[in-house]
Amino acid sequence: MLPRIFTTFLSETGDIARFAGRFFKEAFKPRYEFAEFLRQCFFIGYKSLPLVAITAFIMGLVITIQSRPTLVEFGAEAWLPKMVSVSLVREIAPVITALICAGKIGSGIGAELGSMKVTEQIDAMEVSGTNPFKYLVATRIMAATLTIPILAVLADSVSLYGGYLGANIRGVVSWDLYWNQVFDTLAFSDVIPSIIKTFFFGFAIGTIGCYKGYNSNKGTEGVGRSANSAVVISSLLVFVLDLLAVQIIDLLSLT
Amino acid sequence: MIAKTEIVESTKQSLDVPVIQLKSVSKSFGNNSVLRDFTFDLKKGENVVVLGKSGSGKSVLIKCIIGLIKPDTGTINVLGKNIPELSNEELDRIRAKVGFLFQSNALYDSMSVRENLEFPLRRHKAKMTKPQIDELVVEALTNVGLAHTIDMRTSELSGGMKKRIALARTLILKPEIILYDEPTTGLDPITGKEISKLMRELAKTYNTSSIIISHDLNCVKIVADSIVMLIEGKCYAQAKYEELERSTDKKIQEFFI
Ligand SMILES: Nc1ncnc2c1ncn2[C@@H]1O[C@H](COP(=O)(O)OP(=O)(O)OP(=O)(O)O)[C@@H](O)[C@H]1O
Ligand SMILES: [Mg+2]
Repeated sequence: MLPRIFTTFLSETGDIARFAGRFFKEAFKPRYEFAEFLRQCFFIGYKSLPLVAITAFIMGLVITIQSRPTLVEFGAEAWLPKMVSVSLVREIAPVITALICAGKIGSGIGAELGSMKVTEQIDAMEVSGTNPFKYLVATRIMAATLTIPILAVLADSVSLYGGYLGANIRGVVSWDLYWNQVFDTLAFSDVIPSIIKTFFFGFAIGTIGCYKGYNSNKGTEGVGRSANSAVVISSLLVFVLDLLAVQIIDLLSLT
Repeated sequence: MIAKTEIVESTKQSLDVPVIQLKSVSKSFGNNSVLRDFTFDLKKGENVVVLGKSGSGKSVLIKCIIGLIKPDTGTINVLGKNIPELSNEELDRIRAKVGFLFQSNALYDSMSVRENLEFPLRRHKAKMTKPQIDELVVEALTNVGLAHTIDMRTSELSGGMKKRIALARTLILKPEIILYDEPTTGLDPITGKEISKLMRELAKTYNTSSIIISHDLNCVKIVADSIVMLIEGKCYAQAKYEELERSTDKKIQEFFI
């Protein structure tokens, strides 16, 4: 006998996969809910923008400050922008963005759809001639998939700016020199794969949030649980996807 | 002479044609068998109340009728179409003619009152122009006496106001059939009575047929042409209020004390 937690995990994974499959089946057939999609993009972007920007800025700043002593030890202080920019753009900015969105967007979608479910609003939509899966779920998954990469690009630039300030706290690196070094270091093979993986992060966050909300149990307690587990699962999934992405990029020797 | 009686006969027949016809409908959730062989007709222009204990499957019954829940077996004919077999498009066409008032109101809390009322119009009647929609929204709100709430958010409304807005949203498409899930629950007796009278009037002016789920005997007295007793998943009895009140059957008596 398999332990129960294991079978629950497997059946839940299967359900989520089916849910994602339903998204691909339904999202690309008319009728398209374009207005609602734009509204969701705006919400997702607008809600997480300040948080993403502040966090990315601070990460850029502190990573630079923390990296300096080691480089100084090897007499490689001049490499600071080089090293910091690679780790920020490849790893830190995309993952931080995804985690913040998992917390903010994942829980938001989970709670919103969950409460719509338990107060029969989803049924009411269906009765009003609307496919609630298209109107509520497909638009949100699509919006998350397309908006989170934009936020990640923004996080890249803000964190690099934070890196510039960090480099100038102890040493002096001119604005031109810093950015020249950064752009010399960063190749397309650093930037593009790291942006591509954020599409997957966005898709995972949107899908998990919608899945948890759409399948909420009766009662307000169910709504809280949906929001909570949406955050936990999607954060975890971000790390798993990141691990996979790193392996794939490594295998294809894109680095 | 003969021709004339024939005409009378045929119009009479069309009046008697059921708009909703359920034949041995069964539905269970896991081991919990909720509806068992439920059979029932609703004729045109008729207002039938469904009485049953909490958890007896009343909400499940009318959700089956509108196609939100698929029955395990049986046929559900609404306006001549068998609901469980319809495609989504056909189902939408039927749903445009059937109003549904949800037990929990189901007002969209991300939208204002106006947007709530516009939603079914925009969805079911894509061709309607903005002025036409505005006119219908104002009319529907005036009907329930809440014209001043048009720009409020639904979270700013009281429970009774929400119920009335939900009623306005149900009526805005001028449905031929209306399914009410506990329309007066949670209202004070006076408002409850007003809503019941409103339902009665609407049924007369628009010649609608309706199924009403209610525990509120005052409401039942006002709106019911006849009453269906939903007991143990079956249509246990169907009769007029006075007849059921006099019944000696224990299971029926419980409801009228
Ligand atoms: N989606 C569902 N999944 C599983 N069980 C359900 C579902 N919907 C309803 N039930 C079960 O069906 C039974 C009847 O529920 P229903 O909501 O129809 O009761 P009701 O007669 O409307 O009660 P009330 O007067 O309290 O509203 C209950 O036992 C409920 O647990
Ligand atoms: Mg009910």
